[in-house]
Order: sequence, then structure tokens, then C-alpha cells
Amino acid sequence: MINAGNLVWLPLYALFYVAVMLFWTRVAARENGNHETYFSAGHSLSPWISALTLAAASLSGWFLLGGSAEIAARGFAQPGVLQAGIVLALPGVLFFKRMWFVGQRLRLSSQAELFRSYFDSKFLVVVSVVVAVVFAVGFAGLQLRALSELIWMLSGGMISPLVASFFLGVVLFAYVGIGGMRAIGYFGVIQSVLAFTAIVGLAGFALMSSGGFAALNAGLQTLAQSPDGGGLFQVAGVIRFSAGLGRDVVMGHAETALTSLSVAMAFMGFQASPLAAKIVLSTRNANGFAAGQTWVMAGIVGGIIAFGMAIIGTAGLINPQLSLGGMLAQLQAASPWFMAWLFLGAVAGVQLLAGLGLLTAGEGLVRHIYKPYFHSSLSRVATVNLTRIVIALLALVSVLMQSLTPVTLSALGALALPLAFQLWTPLLGITWLRWITPAAATVGVGFGIAGVLLTETMGYEVLSFLGLELPWGRWPWTIHSAAWGMAANIAAFLIISAITNRNAFGAEAQEARRFVQSTLRMGPRARVLGAAAWSVALAWIFLAVGPGLVFGNFAFGTVDASGGAWSVGMPSIWAWALLFWALGVGLIWFLSYKMEMASPYLMDIPAYEPPRTLHHDQTRVEGERLRKLVVTGALAFILVVLVAFSFGS
Amino acid sequence: MSTLNTERDLLVFSIWAVLGFAGLAFLLEGFTRDSYFVCLLGTALIVAAFVAHIIVNFLFQQGFRPGETVLGIGAFGVLTFTFIAGVLSGSMSMVDYYSGLTLFSILIVGFIAYLSTRHGLRGAFSRFHVKTAVSEDSGR
Repeated sequence: MINAGNLVWLPLYALFYVAVMLFWTRVAARENGNHETYFSAGHSLSPWISALTLAAASLSGWFLLGGSAEIAARGFAQPGVLQAGIVLALPGVLFFKRMWFVGQRLRLSSQAELFRSYFDSKFLVVVSVVVAVVFAVGFAGLQLRALSELIWMLSGGMISPLVASFFLGVVLFAYVGIGGMRAIGYFGVIQSVLAFTAIVGLAGFALMSSGGFAALNAGLQTLAQSPDGGGLFQVAGVIRFSAGLGRDVVMGHAETALTSLSVAMAFMGFQASPLAAKIVLSTRNANGFAAGQTWVMAGIVGGIIAFGMAIIGTAGLINPQLSLGGMLAQLQAASPWFMAWLFLGAVAGVQLLAGLGLLTAGEGLVRHIYKPYFHSSLSRVATVNLTRIVIALLALVSVLMQSLTPVTLSALGALALPLAFQLWTPLLGITWLRWITPAAATVGVGFGIAGVLLTETMGYEVLSFLGLELPWGRWPWTIHSAAWGMAANIAAFLIISAITNRNAFGAEAQEARRFVQSTLRMGPRARVLGAAAWSVALAWIFLAVGPGLVFGNFAFGTVDASGGAWSVGMPSIWAWALLFWALGVGLIWFLSYKMEMASPYLMDIPAYEPPRTLHHDQTRVEGERLRKLVVTGALAFILVVLVAFSFGS
Repeated sequence: MSTLNTERDLLVFSIWAVLGFAGLAFLLEGFTRDSYFVCLLGTALIVAAFVAHIIVNFLFQQGFRPGETVLGIGAFGVLTFTFIAGVLSGSMSMVDYYSGLTLFSILIVGFIAYLSTRHGLRGAFSRFHVKTAVSEDSGR
């Protein structure tokens, strides 16, 4: 029974959260000198601060809110999700160190700048900004909406979801708008530890409520005896040639090994997103990437996901009253102080991601699109202030979409990770594969985006609205849109790279290539270990998230109508996932340190000085450009309305 | 605020956000359930937070800030007042009573132990001893 006394704790803890937020925002604003280092904290964030905020932003609330709900609904049918800590760390190991070196040499502070300097591609700049906007409004908005509904439930209906999401939006704007990247870094540390603690605490509560780990697994075994119960603990083969969700019904369940692999690819998108690049390029030095990816991301976050999230999900699977919402409601009634503290952790994780997304999107729209193309004479102060306004508008749009258009928000949020995954191609070009030409990277990403849109709800709904019905639905052949996009992306960039000039790079790109090659040359031992590294990494991917997952169905026991024989006291597929999480930490350590892909490397990097060029007054050209943009936008809108009116349903 | 100071403060905030709040939650849970063991767990977490705070101070070669000292003494005062009010009102159970005594004993002993190890026994006393001009100049 919830009484008035129980309702006091959540506002009380929220007050504490806001007070701490305001304290660190003030510290950040003072250190920023208001606007001087607003966007990248003067590239001075400590490596450990970056490691923590990166890990928590990757974890965000998705794994607590979405991941545990996924397990509570479908069991372990998609065990690749449990390897999220490792697959999130892999791109970090691959990209961060080299990206930081290029960024430091060219004095860049965002992914969009990286693309502009290296590929001189306006398209990639726009894509990077759009991905940031999708993360800020869609992906984070979706999680904030889930939190708002939990607040509504926990307050006994006193606080409506709209008021809750508005409050969360105001808190977000307060620290991002005032303190910028530095506030995200500083407050992010506290948000990170709160988020980690929340999952561990909730997992502990789930275990206690289920009667311990053995009782939890006994419950799972009982569940396996129910009709169709076995499917909850098995991967449904390697692939199913279905037309996709919404178009075809798959016998049994639709989670195959390739679903797990392609979902893992989508997770890998986060570390290739402009949000992760923002933190990396705001870091003081490259000494923390190996430790951050190995111990914080793969070790702590990976463990929290493989154990904590799985325990919360399985408790909800056995007893729906122990789903996340039910568990919080029980805690609210019995121990409101615990509930307030743990719920605040969930809020903190989501807000970290949302704040980072808002800053990156706001900066992208103002600094990388509006200023260079439409208003180059904009002063530093005006740029920061305009960014603050844009951040407020984006937060407002997100809040309104959470309440008014939840379906669109859901479709938009689903695009964030697969779209970000398409940015792997240009990032590989900058960091490792020098033969990827600017044209190839651009066309590859374009095709990748098309591949994603055509296999996601948003794409086929828009086409359906315009009168074009696709013969397939979401995720055809049980493969996530991230993989469909990447297939198109790879095909395009390989062809274009083969037929375009591989030396057609600008001066900054040439300098970045020369600098990376001269400073980050692999040592002799790492070169010798190269073949072993490839073998181990591919074997891990095959067995942990790829087709080899089917071995996990029976490696540690069987599942049948009698419940089966579980030789390690838990479902075979969960034990398999835990084993490969542990092996995955070893893999990340090996790649980071032994292969020197993210190993510490301390050196002073002088800024590259480009040849001086004359700056002409661009006011007239920019005014003309803005006029063209408005006219094109209006025409496009009219055209879409006409097409929809003529052919749409 | 220098970078080192900022990082030290971030760690302190993080420690108390996790261990401090966990300790508080377990104490409240113990009082509600009338369980001495749960209260003891809460006390242990608060002590762990203090220990972690002191370790961070040592790593960054700093002591408690004046604001932290004021907050700590203030919180101790509020706790003491609440405890005494509880005892006088007669509404406390024996578990509440012993849990409170345990918390205060550990905090007081820990405080004295901290001052003694940091400043020595005589130095610890001097932290509270107001030195007058006469005593400083007397040479005795």
C-alpha cells in the first residue's frame, strides 16, 4: 500500500539530484569562462572521466529499460544482447586512439569536423549531424518516455507523463545548456556511478525476491516445461527466410543467430556515433582508452549486462510482477528510500545519453551546418548562445513527441543505432583503411542509409504513405536493418574505391594520414600477433554473437518438455553467454594492449597549421544559399503532400 | 578550481552518491524492519564511504574541505538530535536504540582514530585547542 510518506522520497532524492547537477553545472560554467570551452571542455577531460561517461552513455537506460524487458518477454532467444559490453568495446578499441590522434593533430572537436577535414564531404557532415539529432530526439526521447511513464506510475498518477517528461527536459537543458561538454563530463561521472549502482541494486532485489540464484533458475526450468517454453532458452537456428516483421509470420520465434549478430552490429553503431566521438575528442590524452574499453566497458558494463540485466529480465520472465515496473512499485510500497535511489540511477543513465545527444546535435546544427554555410561571420558568443537555443528547441521537440507522437518517436529511435553503424566506413577510412576514398565513403554511407531505411518501420511506413508498398517488412530474413545497411554500404564503397583515385585527398587529410602512419606504427610483436588477433576476434564473433550461437543451445545442457538437464544449474544459452563475456574481456584486453590498438601513448602533438588562405566576404552568397534552402524545403514539402494526396493511403 | 581538485571532488561526490546513500537506505530499512543486522550493514556502508573518502584525500594529497567538515558535523548534529528526541519520546525499539548507539560509537571512534593517525594524539587535541597569544609567546 502506497501512502503519502512513501511518496516523499522520490521528490526528495530528485531534489538532491538537481542540487548536485546545479553544483557541477556551476563549476563547469566557471571553468568554461561561459563560452570559451563550451563545446569540448577545452579538450581537457581526464581519461577516466571519459571512460566512465562513455561506458554509461553506451549503457544508458536502454539495457535497464529495454534489454530487461526484452528478456522478460522473450527469454534468452536473442543471447547476442548479453554480449553488448564486448561489442560496444570492440569499435572503441578499433577507432578511439587513432581518431583522437587525428583530432588532436588537426585540432578537431567533433565527428562532423573530422569528416569535413578528412573527406571534405558535406554529405557526411550532414549525416553525422542527423544521426546526432536522431539520438537526441528519438533514441533518448524513447527512454525518457519510458521513465516518464514510470514516474506517473510511481506517483500514483499524481504526476502525468507530460509533466514528468517536461521536468526531465528542463533538468537536461539546465546542465547541457549552461555547462556544455564540461558539465556533461563532470556530472556524467556521478550519473555513471548512479546508473551502474541502479542496475546492480535492482538485480540484487530481483534475486532476493526470486529466492536466490538457484531458485531463479529452478523457476526458469519450470518455465521451460510449459508449451513453447523451450523456445525461451534457445536460438531459433541460424536464419529464417521470412519477409520480415509486419509482412510474414515466422513459425516458432523470429530470433535467429543472425538476428543476434545483426543486433550486435547495431550496438556497435553507438561507438561510431558522433556522441561517442564528442567524448573522445574532448579527452585530454589517449592514455585511458585501453583501460576504459577493457575494464570499464567490457568488464564492468559487460558484467552488468550479462549478469545484472539478465537477472532483472529473468525475474520478470518467471513472474511478471517482478518486471521492472512491478519491482519498482513493490519497492515503492515497502522501501521507498531504496526505490527512489535506484530509480534515480535509471534517470541518471538516460539523462547522460540525452544530454550528450542534445549537445552534439545542437553543436552540429549550429557550428557545422548553419555557421559554415549560412552565417560564417557568427561570433563565438553568438554561436554558443544559438546552440543553447537549439538545444532547448530539440529538448522541447523531444518532450512533445514523447507525449503526442509516441509511434513516430519509436520508429525514429529505432533508426539511431543502425544509422550510426553506417559511419563505420568513413571511420575505418580515417583510422585504418587508407584506400577508402572520399567518394567511396560518401556513396557507401548513402547506400547504407538507404539499406537501413528500407528495412526499418520508418522507411516502409513513409513509402507506404506515399503509395509505394514494399514486399518486405521490418528486418527481413530475421536480420536487423544495421546489417542490411552495412551490406549495401560495403558493396558500394568497395566498388567506388576500386574505380576512384586513391590519392585524391585534401591537404589536411594527407597530413592526418602521414601523422597516423608515422606515429602509430605497430610494433614488431603486434605485427607478429596480427594473424592470431584476426583468428581470435573472428572466432569470438562467430561463437558469441554469430551463427555459432546455436552450439549454445545444448553446450551446457538440454531443454525439453521435462525442463531438460541443465548441467551448470542455469540455461545452457545463458551459461554460454557468460562464458563468452569472460572470453570477450580477454579478447578486448588482447586487442587493446598486446595489439597496441588502444594502448597508452603519451606525446605532445603540435597543431597542424594549414597554408594561409584569403577569406572573402561570404554574406551575399550565404544569404542566397539560405534563400535556396527555404525555397527547396517548401517545394519538397508541397511535392510530398501532393504525392501523398495522389497515391497515399 | 584546478583540475586535480575537480577530479578529487568528483570522486568524493561519487563515493557518497553510492555508498552514502546505500548506507542511509539500509539504516532506514533496518529501522523499519527492526533488524539490527540490516542497520549494521548501513553503518558499515557509511564507514566504507568515509574510508573511501579518506583514501581519495590521501591520493590527491588533500584533507577534508571546510564545507565537507561543516556538512559532516552538521549531519552528525542532526542525527544526534534526532536520536535524543527519539529516546526521550520513548518511541524507539531496542533495535533502534542499539543501532543508533552503534552508529554514533563507530563515528566517534573513527573520528578520533582519523585525527590521531593524521595529526598524532597531541596534534589531534590541538585541532580544537585555541592557542592564545600568551601561550604562543610564553615559550613554556
